[in-house]
Amino acid sequence: MTQAPLVSMRGITKRFPGVTALNGVDFDLLPGEIHALVGENGSGKSTLVKCLYGFVQPDEGVIEISGVPTAIDSAHRARQFGIVAITQELTLAPTLTVAENILMGRLPRGRFGIDWGKVRRQAREALDQTGAEIDENAIVGDLSVELQQEVEIARAVSARSPVLVLDEATSSLSELATARLMAKLEQLRSQGVAVIFISHRLREVFQCASRATVLRDGQLVATLDLAGVTESELVTKMVGRTMEDLYGKRHISKGDVVLTVRDLSTLDGTVQGASLDLHEGEILGIAGLVGSGKSELGMAIYGALPSTGEVRMLGKQVRQNDPRNGMAAGMGYVPDDRKKDALLLTRGIRPNLSLPWMPFRKFTRYGLLDVRTERAMARKSCSDFAIRAPSTEFPVVQLSGGNQQKVVLARWFALRPKVVILAEPTRGIDVGAKSEIYGFMQDMAEQGTGIIMISSEMPELLGVADRILVMYQGRLCGEFDPGDSGEEEIAHVVCIGEMKAAGVC
Amino acid sequence: MADSGGPAKVVETSTPGGRSLGFLRRLSMGRVAGALGGLIVVTIYLAVANDLFLTWGNVMNIFRAQSVIFILAIGMTFVILTGGLDLSVASAAGFAGMILGLSFKAGMTPVPAIILCVISGILLGLLNGVLVGVVRISPFVVTLGTMSIYTSVILVVTHGSTVSLFNYPKFNPIQTLANGDVGPFPIILLVILALYLIAWFVLHRTAFGRAVYAVGSNPEAARLNGLNVPVTLLMVYAVAGLTYALGAIQQDGRLTAAVPIVDPNQMLAVIAAVLIGGMSMRGGEGGLLGSFIGVLFLGVIQNGLTLMGVSAFWQGTVTGLILIVAVGLAVVQETGAIHRIRRRRPGKRTAHNTGVSAD
Repeated sequence: MTQAPLVSMRGITKRFPGVTALNGVDFDLLPGEIHALVGENGSGKSTLVKCLYGFVQPDEGVIEISGVPTAIDSAHRARQFGIVAITQELTLAPTLTVAENILMGRLPRGRFGIDWGKVRRQAREALDQTGAEIDENAIVGDLSVELQQEVEIARAVSARSPVLVLDEATSSLSELATARLMAKLEQLRSQGVAVIFISHRLREVFQCASRATVLRDGQLVATLDLAGVTESELVTKMVGRTMEDLYGKRHISKGDVVLTVRDLSTLDGTVQGASLDLHEGEILGIAGLVGSGKSELGMAIYGALPSTGEVRMLGKQVRQNDPRNGMAAGMGYVPDDRKKDALLLTRGIRPNLSLPWMPFRKFTRYGLLDVRTERAMARKSCSDFAIRAPSTEFPVVQLSGGNQQKVVLARWFALRPKVVILAEPTRGIDVGAKSEIYGFMQDMAEQGTGIIMISSEMPELLGVADRILVMYQGRLCGEFDPGDSGEEEIAHVVCIGEMKAAGVC
Repeated sequence: MADSGGPAKVVETSTPGGRSLGFLRRLSMGRVAGALGGLIVVTIYLAVANDLFLTWGNVMNIFRAQSVIFILAIGMTFVILTGGLDLSVASAAGFAGMILGLSFKAGMTPVPAIILCVISGILLGLLNGVLVGVVRISPFVVTLGTMSIYTSVILVVTHGSTVSLFNYPKFNPIQTLANGDVGPFPIILLVILALYLIAWFVLHRTAFGRAVYAVGSNPEAARLNGLNVPVTLLMVYAVAGLTYALGAIQQDGRLTAAVPIVDPNQMLAVIAAVLIGGMSMRGGEGGLLGSFIGVLFLGVIQNGLTLMGVSAFWQGTVTGLILIVAVGLAVVQETGAIHRIRRRRPGKRTAHNTGVSAD
């Protein structure tokens, strides 16, 4: 390509404690192209575009816009450089009208202040341009999420900026609205606008983008012309990695079935008719995209999310309306967001560890605490799970992500549950702690605990799980043996929802 | 995060000072330090500036004057620990106090009168608890409503007239409790200390106390780990109601009457004292020691202003300033901490979760 890039990012590095989100990534965006950024969850694609629209400042590297090195330290700055982003997070003011939102910050003025007639006309134009059938006088808060997303798109498009970033902007859109957006993007592209397109749905990527940059673990893998590449080749690039022995997979013999789930559906529709069996000592992986319903499946089995259907532990039915029933039946649950749903951030390690021990009266008698026993149990957990802290009273806020996660796992593992459901057990923690956690999981399995491991990270599923179920749009639609299935094969079902060869779903 | 690399199982690198640090933390010294520092500075200033201040009689007077607030602050501490707020504190105390007064007026002896008063306090608290814990209405709204209701019901029942207990000999034991001395100590000071010890035991040595902190710190984590969040909240408001009834007994004893007009300043004083003592409105942090110091601090200020001959009209201004400065310092500390926490989050989440929920 001979064209000078509109945006050029060179050697972008961004470190978060314990994680290098981006490591020396180069990225070029040419005028008049739709350039896709692809990679697994956590590969750094969102972080990369956030550097561009001012949400994140890179630790190293240069961003050049039209050849001029620039520092983009706020979203406002980014807009001045002509970079507008549409993200999953809605940024509209819910109490204002659609028209006010679209023209926010650039309301046309007449002789007597704001010219409201003009506001409505310009907003109408913007909506018509993107083909959104929304009343410009409607209050944004009254619209569905999908329509709000369309307003967001209309606003971004009408700003006529030369660079448009779409970070998972289609995730809440219907197929029809997505198709309209694609058509609009193509039209903008032909007018010379440059678009960065991020989507989990590879079909959309192939539909609209001409080039794709693949990231993996914060590293640039390749920038490809999509014309000569097939979907599965792209997936291979995304996931293909050298497997070190990070997982230390042991052979653990399966016991009897400990958990059966039949036709489980959550009341909010995120899980539909899921059935599965889990054996003693088995690690069952569940793969799926964000929003596929895989986290909700875990919550529903545990009883944390209201559901219909049947959950049986060792043949005995468990009522699915309260986590306490799941616990009483011998289940444990580790949620995917440890800070939001698992930890008592204002407290020390000891009360965090002992939280689920209380209902089992492990260190209480007649409602009184036996602090000595509790402290001894907490010490044992800290040493068994290599939780590194000055003492058991150390505030959990000050622990590293890996040690926090070990606290959350240790509190359950100390109870020797029959079944543990782990959602994203290694999210956002460093490789060393990951490896330790895989070890603990297998220790547990060796003692006969059945483990359900819900994860967005395919490599860890392949590395640790004995069996992988794939979830797509609320349904379980594929079962794999990690031994004889490739990453590619599974990723295909994860992204597209059907088997590669025949449509088995 | 350098500490979590490598497979070596080095654990609990116990520092020599680890234990005593833990002890201080359990007393939540970190958060209490501000109020304690303020209290010490003001005490030293007043001791130097005024000869009367640091006399035994005066110090005991401070405790006496703050006795009702001391007791009410125990309940408020429980409520705020769960991330709640109880605006009905003074009204519920007024209500329970009126029950006590009317019981004596009806000719009851102290024991049944006190039992009736305590039961009424618990019931008033339970009503708050049901609405907050089970129906899940915001504590601010619920207690704003019940504050108004309890206040008005007292007026309806009494037609707005004070129930004087001066001429009831059966009321004497309560008067002695409120105003009497054992040796050099006011009886009520010993009662207050006992109540704080009992409440400390409940918070730190019972499963219920653990649940209070857990629910306040992270209700979803509490739920997912098998705690019954609605029942915990219900019990917290009931315990608060119980302490309001105890406060009411002291109030009636000091006034030798049950007064139908609820003093709104009392509610403000209780909340201000607890917050000055380092409790976080978001719950799960702080404790009784802070509340005790907060109440004492306000009492010393009030006493000092009176001794220095400053008009009582200024008291509100001073209390307000101290409240804002104390809580403001805590907020600055916390936002610093929040900033650090947020920077620890891995990239994907950093920009998303920027809203600090204010409920």
